[in-house]
Formats: sequence, C-alpha cells, structure tokens
Amino acid sequence: MKALRRSFLVFLVLVGGLPPVSGWTQVDITVTRTVIQRIPVAVVGLAPFHLESGGADLAAQASSILMDDLEFSMIFEVLPPSFLPFEAREVQLGTEEEVLPPLNKLKVQAMVAAELTMRGNDLILEGRVYNVARGTFLGGKRYFGDVKALRTMVHRLADEVVLRLTGERGIAATRIAYASKTKRATELYLMDYDGRNSVLVTGNRSINLSPRFSPDGRLLAYTSYRDGNPDLYLLNLETGRRDKVSALPGLNISPAWSPDGRWLALSLSKDGGTNLYLMRRMGKGLRRLTNGIGISVSASFSANGRQIAFTSDRGGSPQIYVIDIEGTNLHRLSFKGGYNASPKWSPRGDKIAFISDRGGGGFQIYLMSPDGSGVQQMTTLGSNEDPAWSPDGRHLVFMSTRGGKKDIYLMHADGSGQRRLTRNGFINFAPDWSP
Amino acid sequence: MVREARELHRKGVIASMVSWRGPLLGLVLLLPVALLLSGCPKKPEVQTAAPAAVAPEPAEEVVVVVEEEVVIETEEGPVTIQDVFFDYDKSVIRPDAREALDEDLSVLNENPGLRVVIEGHCDERGTNEYNLALGERRAKAVRTYLMAGGVDSDRISTISYGEERPFCLGHGETAWQCNRRGHFVVVE
Repeated sequence: MKALRRSFLVFLVLVGGLPPVSGWTQVDITVTRTVIQRIPVAVVGLAPFHLESGGADLAAQASSILMDDLEFSMIFEVLPPSFLPFEAREVQLGTEEEVLPPLNKLKVQAMVAAELTMRGNDLILEGRVYNVARGTFLGGKRYFGDVKALRTMVHRLADEVVLRLTGERGIAATRIAYASKTKRATELYLMDYDGRNSVLVTGNRSINLSPRFSPDGRLLAYTSYRDGNPDLYLLNLETGRRDKVSALPGLNISPAWSPDGRWLALSLSKDGGTNLYLMRRMGKGLRRLTNGIGISVSASFSANGRQIAFTSDRGGSPQIYVIDIEGTNLHRLSFKGGYNASPKWSPRGDKIAFISDRGGGGFQIYLMSPDGSGVQQMTTLGSNEDPAWSPDGRHLVFMSTRGGKKDIYLMHADGSGQRRLTRNGFINFAPDWSP
Repeated sequence: MVREARELHRKGVIASMVSWRGPLLGLVLLLPVALLLSGCPKKPEVQTAAPAAVAPEPAEEVVVVVEEEVVIETEEGPVTIQDVFFDYDKSVIRPDAREALDEDLSVLNENPGLRVVIEGHCDERGTNEYNLALGERRAKAVRTYLMAGGVDSDRISTISYGEERPFCLGHGETAWQCNRRGHFVVVE
C-alpha cells in the first residue's frame, strides 16, 4: 500500500509539474450551418448562333455565362440541361410556354427562355422570365449591343432574372476594383465580378492604393502618390474627371464612404499620430474622430451609417474598435490574437468581416457579429487579407496567397465557393466590390 | 561530318561517299568520337541519407531590389548617410540604430546646407494601410531624433511608403529586417 501511495504521489507531482496541454485552449467559434433554400431554375432556348460559319457559338457562350451567374448568386440552383426531359436549346421564343408543364413536374420553380439574334451590326439578346408553378410570365428584356458587349448583356439579363424573382438587385453586372503591382508601379484596375475584362483606371506610374466605390457607384476614392505624397483622390467613373480631395501634409489614406455617400472617413497623420477624420466628399467640413499618438486606420461604416469600425493600436497591438460617428462610445471588439485588422461591415449590418492572425501563420478571414461575438473562420489556405462585401452582402472578395502569390479571390458569405479571379502573373490585392 | 568523311576517304578508308555505306561507316566511326566529345553522362551523385532527427532549414531566399544608402561628397571625401533599422511593429530607435543616427547627425551638422527626406518603410507583414501609418511613425521618429540633435526642422521632411517599396524581396527575417527602415534621400 505504501509503495502504491508513494508512486501515486510521484505521479501527482509529475502531472502537476507538466505544462498545460497546448491544444486544449477554450475556443470561441460558433459554426452555423445555414441551409439556403435556392430557387430551382431552368435555362432554355439560346439555340446555336454563329456570327460567321465556323465561328464560335455565341449562344452557347451566353448560356454558359447565364447559368454561371445564376448559380453563383446563391439564390438559384440551375438545373443541368441534361436533367430536362426535352432538348433545352431547341426551345424557341414564342412557344416557350409549352415547356412549363414538364418543368413544373420536375418541381422547377423558375424558367428563363432566351434567344440570340442579329440585326444589322447589333447583337440582340432577348430573355423572358417565368414563374413555373403558376405558369405566369414575369417579364422580359431585350438587350442590343456589339458582339464585344455579349458578356455584359448576359450579366444584365441574369440580374433581371434575380430582380423578377426576388425583387432584389443582382450582382452579375457588378465590378471589382483592385490594385496590381508590377516592378515599376502599383496601378488600379476594374474587372467584371467574374474576373474578366480588366481595364486600367489609374496609369500615373506611381503607387495607387485603397480603391473604394461610392455607394452610387459613380465615384472611386483612392490614395495616390502621383504628386509625390499619399493624397486622396476621387475619380468619376462616368466622366473620367479626377479631383484631389485631401492633400494634407503626411498621410491621406484608407478612405471609407458613409452609406448615404455624403461623407468620407479617412486617416490623416497631419496632427501627430495617424487618426480617423470625417469630411464631406469634396473635402470640406473636416472633423477629427479619434485622438492620440497611435495609429487608427481602415475605417468601415455600419450599414445604418451611425458607427465606424476601424483598426487601431491604441491598446498596444492592432485590434478592431468601434466608435459612433459623433465620436463617442469608443470600444474594442477583438481580443484574441495579436493582430486583428481590416474590418468591413456587411451591407446587411449583421456581420463584420476582418482578418486575424489568431490561428498562427499568416492572416485568415473571419466574420463576427457587431458586438464581437460569434466569430466564424472563413479561410484556411495561405494568408488572406483585404476582405470586401458584395453589395447584396452574400459574397466576399479578398486577397489570398494560397496560389503562391497575392491574387484576388471570391467566396460566398458562408465561406463556400472559394475561387480565384486574377491570373495575370502580377501581385494583385486591395479589392473593392462596386454597388 | 562531311569533312571527316572526306578525310577518311582521302586516306582510302571509305570507298565511296555516294552510296549509303559511306555515310553509315562515317557515322559508325564518328559515333564514339561524338560521344567522347559530348562527355559521358555523369554518374548520379551518391546521396548520403540526412540524419532523421533534424531537417535542415531551407535557405532563405532574399532578392535585393534596391540598395542605395546616400553617399554625399564632403570636404573629407564621400560620406554615407546610413539608414536606420527597426524591430517588428516598432518605431523605437534601438541602440544600433542610435549609433548610425549619431553619425548621420554629425554629417548633417557639419554640412548645414544638406537637406534630406526620411522615408519610412515596413516589412510585408500586416495590412498595407496599417503599414503606411507605421512607416510614417518610423520616419517621424528619426526626424525627432535628428531635431533633438540640433538639426533644423525645415531641413528634414518625411514620407511613408509602408510596405509598398521594399528594398529586399523575400519572406523571411533577413528580407523583413532589410525592409524595416528609415531611409535617407538627399534633396537637391
């Protein structure tokens, strides 16, 4: 017995002296599995259409783009054409209502019937949207354009389908702004939300950063070193006019638009420290929001425009804080990890996306509720930064190094559907999603 | 090959060049020569098994993109204005940086016409926006030090480049330290 007790005591001493098992920290992660009810939709029509004999089948391209747009939206579940009890592409506009009954039998709820034709030099895309269960015609649109505009026309049709069936604005015709770094310069580009049709927006051969669309989509705010100092510019995307709206000594960086588009939050270093300020979009009415010698950057307005989330090191390391736009009620949201930054408030108001190093080895993207609870991890591969929300709050665009270098990626707001958008061999980062 | 065959033909070795035998014979004769000239394929190097316990650290790849510390001509000859290096996420002037700065201070005090811009730089970690502010803080820290040492404020201006203009490309501490700096540029 004595021997047993002694060995038990020895055991206690040994166990008591061991360091705590490292994998056993209490983790505050809530995983919610949302079952999203998607609307089953069938795309019919779009019989083969060639511009010249031997040329590409433009209708097949259109069909593919349309189905991709509808599927990506997370609103629809597109039925593969092979599932249909008829030849989908042989359906003609004028008799499309004939296939409503067989679609109804398959529990398909929506139908898009479309056709591509030519008149003179114009391509014509016509689409008609149906409620299959009720057998009712919901509306249609006809788009005219040059062949080069085919993708845009199809994207617009996809948005029309979303509008007719949900009353919401779709995202198929939205665009993404981003920064692209070559050896010589960092320039800003715009591309379609699916990664196509990149166009150069700056072109001043200097450093251009932090592109931010205004809520009406007409203006792009950004910081540029084109005149030798990081100054804040507004570019009118319709007219091409550029205005320098903040050129104070030091930094004029990380712009953020209020939801009504009348105010910009930005970070200035003119008064010692880098602090948050508010100003009217053309630069007047400058008002200081944060104080101190620390760093406050990366502001993001709440959906109701009454609060701003931002990154600050006032607590000793970069963390996420929230402040009312009156300058009151400053409080900290993030407490895990040594570096939490880049908060982006969802346009729906219910989530804040941010990046954190709490998992070790680079940054991952997380979502949290506006009170800091309910943290969910969205990414795991590579290092991921610069999240930005789609205007409908269903998707995120971000930067990831998982492919070997910095590129722009998309994902849905539940972390699914992660896909790469840029493939040009350059360093691509800082994306923002147009309204 | 044709020349070789002709030589051999002159020596009476090859009967005729027209028929296929000639070239074939030439080939056969030349093949060992060609092999000798091209060099035998090397024997594969014998790999000694690495000890199982410790895997060797992969060598850090660093590409130096820019390496220019400012050199100015003084009466005593060319003098370097040394850059100032910082610790991660810090803008504090550390002891080794202080030594370099004190020497820079002498240069500035001895050359009162000299005006400089201090650029603040960061390594690639952290967000671009935060790093612009951190670089600004570093540049200002160097400026404050120099002003405390007697340099007039309007001889020194600052600008931050954050992580946007690295001096070294790479993803390890060597490259990162190389980029965490206050860099001097002389104003003409």
